[in-house]
Amino acid sequence: MSVPVVCTNVAKTFRGAVEAVTPMTLSFEAGQTTALVGPSGCGKSTLLRMIAGLETPSSGQIAIDGHPPAEIRRNAGLSVAFQDPSLLPWRSVRGNIELALDLARLPRRADQIDQLIHLVGLDGFADTRPAELSGGMRQRAAIARALSTRPKLLLLDEPFGAVDELTRKQLANDLPGIWEASGTTTLLVTHSVSEAVTLSDRVIVLSPRPARVVADIDVALERPRQPEVTQSDTFASIVEQVSAALAVGVGHTLPKAAQ
Amino acid sequence: MIAAAAAPSRDRTWGAGLFGPVLVLLAWEVLARVLDGAFVLAGPSAILSYLVEHAGLVWRALGATLTNAVLGFAIGNAVAIVLATTAIVVPRSEALIRGLALLVFCLPLVATGPILRVIFGPGPWPQITLAALAVYYTTLIPLLVGLRAVPSGWLDLVHSYGRGRVAALLHVRAHAALPYLVAGLQIAAPAAFLGAMVGEFTGAERGMGVLTIRAMRGMNVDMTWALATVATAVAVLSYLAIGWLARRALRQDPPIILAPPATPEGQARRLTGVTNLITIALAALILWWAMITGLNLNPFFAKGPAEVWSALITSADAAETRQTLMQALSETAIFLLPGYVAGLASGAVLAMLIVLFPALAGTAMPLAIALRSVPIITTAPLVVLLLGRGAVGTVVLVAIMVFFPTFVACLHGLRQAPGRVLDVFDSYAAGPVEKLLRVRIPAMLPAFFAAARMNVPASVLAVTVVEWLATGKGIGSVMALSASLSDYDMLWSSVVIVALLSAGGYAGVGWIEKRVLRTYAPEQLA
Ligand SMILES: Nc1ncnc2c1ncn2[C@@H]1O[C@H](COP(=O)(O)OP(=O)(O)OP(=O)(O)O)[C@@H](O)[C@H]1O
Ligand SMILES: [Mg+2]
Repeated sequence: MSVPVVCTNVAKTFRGAVEAVTPMTLSFEAGQTTALVGPSGCGKSTLLRMIAGLETPSSGQIAIDGHPPAEIRRNAGLSVAFQDPSLLPWRSVRGNIELALDLARLPRRADQIDQLIHLVGLDGFADTRPAELSGGMRQRAAIARALSTRPKLLLLDEPFGAVDELTRKQLANDLPGIWEASGTTTLLVTHSVSEAVTLSDRVIVLSPRPARVVADIDVALERPRQPEVTQSDTFASIVEQVSAALAVGVGHTLPKAAQ
Repeated sequence: MIAAAAAPSRDRTWGAGLFGPVLVLLAWEVLARVLDGAFVLAGPSAILSYLVEHAGLVWRALGATLTNAVLGFAIGNAVAIVLATTAIVVPRSEALIRGLALLVFCLPLVATGPILRVIFGPGPWPQITLAALAVYYTTLIPLLVGLRAVPSGWLDLVHSYGRGRVAALLHVRAHAALPYLVAGLQIAAPAAFLGAMVGEFTGAERGMGVLTIRAMRGMNVDMTWALATVATAVAVLSYLAIGWLARRALRQDPPIILAPPATPEGQARRLTGVTNLITIALAALILWWAMITGLNLNPFFAKGPAEVWSALITSADAAETRQTLMQALSETAIFLLPGYVAGLASGAVLAMLIVLFPALAGTAMPLAIALRSVPIITTAPLVVLLLGRGAVGTVVLVAIMVFFPTFVACLHGLRQAPGRVLDVFDSYAAGPVEKLLRVRIPAMLPAFFAAARMNVPASVLAVTVVEWLATGKGIGSVMALSASLSDYDMLWSSVVIVALLSAGGYAGVGWIEKRVLRTYAPEQLA
């Protein structure tokens, strides 16, 4: 059910000028959740888009379960929650979820859709159009849409960016159950170090643009994660490690930028 | 041209809205009575009494023309939709589709009419074809914009589920383009009526066009004015009706979604300029040749590329033909260019005045939007009556034809200025003139140029119709003369030359547009 992702020497340069990602070799184990953290504009979204096959790498290969990304897309095994929610304004929350199911050529099951809407806390808004939702509610609708097709590979690009702290914790608590239960391989981009550590099995820290791996840190916390996990010493030390790596990444390139 | 979505503001009261028209009617009646005997102006009462007396005649004519217009409207817009979706699903074909569509749109209707007449015979098909030709381009262009005005994230979503361009078209683009389609259809409705009437000018048996010609030849002032009034009413009503239907169907005012056009990839795949031109020219020649041979048309009136080439270049009297055409074209240019420039300038200036003095907008806007839908051409006989067969009448007619679309587009563009940028200017207490110069005019330029481009073929149509009907000068009269003398070499040659010149003018305006935008509003080029 779950698929490994292997990136070999993947790099991306836009219009021959902006180098977003330097050659990078990374593999993501099947069924694991990996968090990607790094400064704004470093190339995280670009990496995700290349894995989704929405952007062609300038060089290198990406293999999902041994096949190019187009293959898993064709089999509707992929879902992306984009950084901007990209909901169609003329469809309700339910309609947007149904669109994903239609596009993936999967049957629409009303009870499943209702359950997802409930899980992301949008009860009572199923028939509301995006224009009448807040920014955070739209993001939650987009997450529900991404989960609705039960993907083998789930790419989440700052899915909780516009969600308030409390709801964020709530979602971080409720949602992983869905993708872990189905053995989904998940890549999560986030700016919150504690969120990265809470949700993932592994945190990859990227440098400022062009993205380069600064640190690759295992999160040895037991699953399923309980809300109390953030109180533990292990948690604190991993958060420290990640924060330090982020700082190093930034510091490392400062002298270069000054030249 | 997208401006059609701008609806008259609904908060004005009925009283204020009625005041202007009533005043106009009164002034009109008084003027008509004063000028009685000069054979130029019929007042509302004379028009009404003519319509009552000849209700049967006018009614039958209107029925015939409306039927043709509706058929032409349906066919033309269906073709536009097919062409636009093809261009989106097969991006490689877009340049070719655009180029051919422009060339066909630039065919001078007054000369295409007689050619279609000899091909189709006396039935309604020439009128229907002309109506279709008059509408498809003004639908195609906004539709192409609308189908592309989709945030790239929506397309990424479709592609992330492994679906391609067809799914993107069905699930995302089609709906996003609806407001643009409505804008196009609104402009198309009066244009179809106009096309059908022009078709009837060239030897139909029934219809408003036939009556108009008869009224003009007989110097029947009341009849000319009555017919023009009916044509105007039909055009305005059809414009309003489509807007109303669209608001019902979309359950809201059609929102114009503004987003950066996606697909830089698609652009890279498009052919480059010169290759494009050659491809379009070749395709046009092949299509033309295939139509003549494929339909097995009589070579006496159906001329192919080779015949026109020989008529213009190689035959014994080619020099004479060229001489005649050059002479006629220069006569036409004398009417066309001043009218075109005056129409553009007055449209843009009036739009700016309205933004500076918003009090004017209350009466001017609804009137302008209504008048924009008037098929000005159908009033050509009036202008000739009023201003004589000389240069002034023609220039004024071209100017009017250009004025209304330019005015509405510019006003829409001026109002398009981003609110937040205006807020910044307000926070520095900038005056209205400064805001106009620095924010609104740059925001207006694309709309202005879009209107300027579309108005090239429109003003050519206006000038050729007047020349055909009245003045006896210029390329329009050459077409009329060669049609009646069955000089088909000359007729086809003039069609080709005029189409090429208008397409060239259209492209030339586009070239100027790029230059100007690069200097004054580079952000609009993105
Ligand atoms: N389509 C594009 N064309 C040109 N440059 C691009 C494009 N997309 C991204 N970039 C550039 O690539 C770099 C990385 O962008 P990316 O969106 O991957 O950053 P990010 O890490 O996701 O940032 P954020 O955390 O702010 O979302 C940026 O400098 C950006 O300007
Ligand atoms: Mg990003």
